[in-house]
Amino acid sequence: MSVENKNCCSPETGEPTATRAAAPMWIIVVTLVLLFTGGLFLDSHSGWFDKNVYAPYQSSAQLETFQPKSGAAAAMARGKSVYEGVCGICHGSDGAGKPGQFPALAGSEWVTAKGCNRLAHIPLAGVAGAIQVGGKDWNLNMAAMGAALPDEDVAAVLTYIRSSWGNKAEAVTADDVKKVRAEIGKSPQPYSGAQLKAMPE
Amino acid sequence: MKTGFSVFLAAFVALGASWFGLVYCPLKQLGVATETKVLQSDAKWPLQRTGDATLGLQVYRSAGCAACHTEQVRQTGAANVLTITEIGSHQPADLKAFIASLASSVTELMNSSNAVAANLAGWNGELPKVLYSGDDDTVVSMLGDKLKAVGVKTEARVVATGADIARGWGTRQSVAADYLYDAPVQLGNLRAGPDLSTIGVRAPDLNWQLQHLYAPRSLVKNSTMPAFRFLFSVQKKAEGKDSADALVLPKEFAPTDGYEVVPTAEAKQLAAYLVSLKNNAPLYEAPFSPITAAK
Repeated sequence: MSVENKNCCSPETGEPTATRAAAPMWIIVVTLVLLFTGGLFLDSHSGWFDKNVYAPYQSSAQLETFQPKSGAAAAMARGKSVYEGVCGICHGSDGAGKPGQFPALAGSEWVTAKGCNRLAHIPLAGVAGAIQVGGKDWNLNMAAMGAALPDEDVAAVLTYIRSSWGNKAEAVTADDVKKVRAEIGKSPQPYSGAQLKAMPE
Repeated sequence: MKTGFSVFLAAFVALGASWFGLVYCPLKQLGVATETKVLQSDAKWPLQRTGDATLGLQVYRSAGCAACHTEQVRQTGAANVLTITEIGSHQPADLKAFIASLASSVTELMNSSNAVAANLAGWNGELPKVLYSGDDDTVVSMLGDKLKAVGVKTEARVVATGADIARGWGTRQSVAADYLYDAPVQLGNLRAGPDLSTIGVRAPDLNWQLQHLYAPRSLVKNSTMPAFRFLFSVQKKAEGKDSADALVLPKEFAPTDGYEVVPTAEAKQLAAYLVSLKNNAPLYEAPFSPITAAK
């Protein structure tokens, strides 16, 4: 069967050549939509290419919530949560304090002292009056923020501030806190810097 | 061809991008991997293999074990689980009311109050009782603390979930660190037999492994595994006595009287390799609670 359609094609005049033409609008739109969905998918599934993040975990932050906590790690996690709920409101979650109002805990000589005796008195009884922190004179009025917390929580939060933000001091045990609490008694009066200095470290 | 250079450039970019993403970056990340730390322990991971076990990997490879066995455990999820283990002098009904009041008054627990209530529905005091199982680790620590304060003992655990883990093939998924000393890695892609990532934990006995290689159905009744008899030699007993490493076989699998089955060096290496497969240490990238953290 060969029927020639005479209207079909113009006679060839030469070799075909490639020319430039604008890409159709729909291709550009589809490409952008694909790129955007791909970006969304990567964001939620790639774990940001962290070599420690395997599916079904989706990010290192999520992986962190599944780390079993016990012993020192549990105390640090507890300390962090207590700190952010109680202490961090004034002293800042980075431990930097606020100039003139709340002294920094990062690098503070009271926090990183060898023993924890003086330090443990501060949250349990509070501070009132003049005190020297980091070479500066402060006039503080800190309530006994830790008086209502259980010994374990006070110990955890002291351990946390003693080993965060570059601080490196030994951990505080619940027994240390218990001892100090017994020493202070039931109705604690806030200490001044001079009174704290008079205590053993 | 006017567009020759553009075509070349496009091909170069396309191939270069896949080389960069599929070859270079993974090599940069995992090609330099070294031993990692086992969670909550000073031990290093993975464990070094003995000489026999290292050679056994090559026997595993040449015997074609990877055709029917995988060495990769999959995981589809993970959960922070809080379980009540002891309720002391409390009544279950009172405790239920107490937990319900906690769940509706403590900010951190509010999102999970329905899940906790559903777990407690119909609870008559049987222990241990799963109180919460989900993503949120603050719920677990917060509830645990609050219950500890009233004298109720709980247990906080991190568990991996998934079909392979339910089958008992492992406690967590396999990760790159597990294969650090395997060359070549015997991942496998078909499971005519069980996964072998933790066979050294499930069957740690060398003699069991040897007997199973010689006569699988003498130990696993309906096993479809072929017997690897070429890894053993059947020989005449010297002076009518068994040699030291002759297999002790049930009667229907034993050779005729006066003969014994002795494993060759390859069989011993393969068994040593199988016993060395113990991918069950908790790692940062594949966490689970090895020991229960009781409160």
